[in-house]
Amino acid sequence: MKGLLRYAITRILLTIPMLFILLTIVFLVLRVMPGDPVSAMLGAHAPEKVIEQKKEELGLNKPIIVQYVNYLGQLARFDLGNSMVLKQRVSKPILEKLPATIELTLWGLFFTLLIGIPLGAYAANKRRTGRDFTIRLYGNIAYCIPVYWMGLMLQLIFGVWLKWLPVSGRTNPRMLSSAFSKTGFYLIDTLLAGNIRAFGDVAVHLLLPSLTLGIVLSGIFVRLTRANMLDVLKSDYILAARARGVSEKLVVYKHGLKNAFIPILTMLGLQFAMLLAGAVLTETTFSWPGMGRLLMERIYLRDYPTVQGVIVVFALMVSVISLLVDLLYAAIDPRVKY
Amino acid sequence: MKRIFILMLLFVVLASFSFANGKTEEPTTLVYGTTEKVTDMDPASAYDFHTWEIFQNIYQGLLAYKPGTTELEPGLAESYTINKAGDEYTFKLRQGLKFTDGTPFDANAVKWSIDRVMALKGDPSWLVTDFVKSVQVVDKYTVKFILPSAIAYFPALVATVPYFPLNPNVYPKDKIVRDPSEMKGGQLVGLGAYKVSSFKRDEEVVLEANPDYYGQKPKVDRIIIRYFADATTMRLALESGEIDLAYKTLNPSDIKDLSANPKYTTNKLQGPYIRYICYETSESVFKDKRLREAMSALVNRPDFIQKVYLGQNAPLYSMVPMGMIYHTDDFKTVYGDANIAKAETLLKEAGYSAAKPFTFTMWYTPSHYGDTEVHLAEVLKEQFEKTPLVKVNIKSAEWAAYKDKWKNKEMAMYLLGWYPDYIDPDNYTAAFAGTTGSKGMGINFSSPEWDALFTKEQTNPDPAVRKQVFEKVQKMWTVDVPTTPLFQGNLYVFTNKNVSGVKIGPTLIFNYNQLEITK
Repeated sequence: MKGLLRYAITRILLTIPMLFILLTIVFLVLRVMPGDPVSAMLGAHAPEKVIEQKKEELGLNKPIIVQYVNYLGQLARFDLGNSMVLKQRVSKPILEKLPATIELTLWGLFFTLLIGIPLGAYAANKRRTGRDFTIRLYGNIAYCIPVYWMGLMLQLIFGVWLKWLPVSGRTNPRMLSSAFSKTGFYLIDTLLAGNIRAFGDVAVHLLLPSLTLGIVLSGIFVRLTRANMLDVLKSDYILAARARGVSEKLVVYKHGLKNAFIPILTMLGLQFAMLLAGAVLTETTFSWPGMGRLLMERIYLRDYPTVQGVIVVFALMVSVISLLVDLLYAAIDPRVKY
Repeated sequence: MKRIFILMLLFVVLASFSFANGKTEEPTTLVYGTTEKVTDMDPASAYDFHTWEIFQNIYQGLLAYKPGTTELEPGLAESYTINKAGDEYTFKLRQGLKFTDGTPFDANAVKWSIDRVMALKGDPSWLVTDFVKSVQVVDKYTVKFILPSAIAYFPALVATVPYFPLNPNVYPKDKIVRDPSEMKGGQLVGLGAYKVSSFKRDEEVVLEANPDYYGQKPKVDRIIIRYFADATTMRLALESGEIDLAYKTLNPSDIKDLSANPKYTTNKLQGPYIRYICYETSESVFKDKRLREAMSALVNRPDFIQKVYLGQNAPLYSMVPMGMIYHTDDFKTVYGDANIAKAETLLKEAGYSAAKPFTFTMWYTPSHYGDTEVHLAEVLKEQFEKTPLVKVNIKSAEWAAYKDKWKNKEMAMYLLGWYPDYIDPDNYTAAFAGTTGSKGMGINFSSPEWDALFTKEQTNPDPAVRKQVFEKVQKMWTVDVPTTPLFQGNLYVFTNKNVSGVKIGPTLIFNYNQLEITK
């Protein structure tokens, strides 16, 4: 237990230099990119004196090193600064949009695992059959498909042609989300409000975007699970289990799959970053009002503090997930000691 | 772990089957989809057409445009008078009006609002500070605007959003408001046909009819504006029935498909939006005006409108748009379209030949005018190169960088577009050919003769004098060619068949109280 605690603290401390390096890169890249927030913000009509006034007001006339030191000083006080576009605290839009992204990401992850792992395990069990070939083909195709194209296809099929599922947003506009929105996690909010109809509406709005993310990311899990399962199924203990007359289902899906799970879990940690990257595109395709959409819009507007703030939050989320994954190893594999 | 999975799976199945078609009983509600964005919910700071559109429905100006026209009519003011010198406008206000929180409206609210815009110095404040010296309360229902000099188009300025009276009890005096939640009482309080009942940035804005509105009562109880990240999703949302109306901005291919679909009503309107080619006239290769003339002759408007915009925009032969007073088609008379012979004569005069072609770089921005911009640049290149005397390179820069480039005189030729600040030909001409305006646009054209003409039309309210000036200016434009007009944007609003009353005029003002929806 002591070892586990020491390990967790070390990992958390390692996050600090990681964040520092990441932020320095983002800070510099944003400033090196042509254009600035004032040019992007003000229309073509703005007089020169107004532009200069604005630059001074936003501190953009100061040398980059001064801006950088000021920014680090702010961060040290856990302050993400003010948005240059809307002049509100950066934390405000982030806190507003974060629940939407977490909700989407978690459900995306759920579909990824729901599709990827059983299919991979099944393909391994049916090695070199038509079903194995079909699943491997699915894995390859899903891995290659751009997420926005997949989203568009699902929107067209389920939204426009079949009219089964909505194609955009988090709720039906007529539901008036303001009536129940409290935590920003709409599934929870609707339950707290006791509004079952709104809960259903929120759930169906989640389906297409999270399924899009899930399908695209499931490809890699199909391949990984299959490959690991093939190794595991060759092991002596699997042979022994079969010799003892344990049912094939139990051998494959309980003993086999559990032992193939460690590399899958590692991949899960790594893929979480991919999941967030996918969420950026999915949010645009489905007009999902989350962090990804916020990031895209603010990059266009060169809203430096908001872009930096969103990246800090994304980096923290990835760090937390990879830490949790590491800690989960011990729970899954008793041989792992910290 | 397994249990969590099973629970989540169960939830998905239940959600799909039980609630997919849940419908609610609502008052008459219209869902309006757009890809635009709301900026600051403050007339002292917002400077974009969509936010202004919302303001035009929740506030009122002293003067207002008749729906769908460029004709001004009384708004919060019943009438106004101008002194002889033309530098004092006195407005008589309507009596008995109340803001949606019950605060009475009077002359103090007008003065307070104008003073606030001037003090806060927000982006659109120049529309007030450049034209108004001070505001005086004459009595409870009379207010006087004192101008630094006569301004012929002042009534058009008064109809713009920065002049809208606000409720002093709600807006903070010294701070720009971003969201309604920052206001005293947390509610946006206006005088217009609608009031804001919910505001979620980038997600939705909900407007409810204002029962105390003095003008035409709204026919739709609730308007929900839903914000889309991209045009394709908005089109799909219209087709799947999630929205009743789609406006600004669909892709040309979507417009073509939806126009041909009998399930939707197509509202095609001529907007005040124009596109044009800019030339850097002081230092670049286009310092020689013969080259600017040659480019104007080579442009083939019907061709690129068909190829790039699928015939959805209108060719423009003046910087003053069609439908606006004093518009003339001088570029059509002087150059026409694809006038290669004239262009070659001018190019040869300037010293170019097939062996030594005129070579330049044309710039465009991919991040400001939509996905069609690259296509427009390519088709224009093709048109310019119809003569062997011209060779064009194309380059692009993102909007923020693009603006830097024109300020730094790094682009000889570049493509731009214009939405007016106020509805007057002055805003389409002086901003490009007047010394100050031209510098700001990177054109750097300057001529005392032109500046004198602009001063004349700006200070003389006599329509006959202004007509004469603008006709002359449009003729001179074909000679000096500070810019080449390309096309005027048409606006498309698609609605379900049960929606009517879409009236958007050249002012781009969309009055929601004209809308109707049947079940």
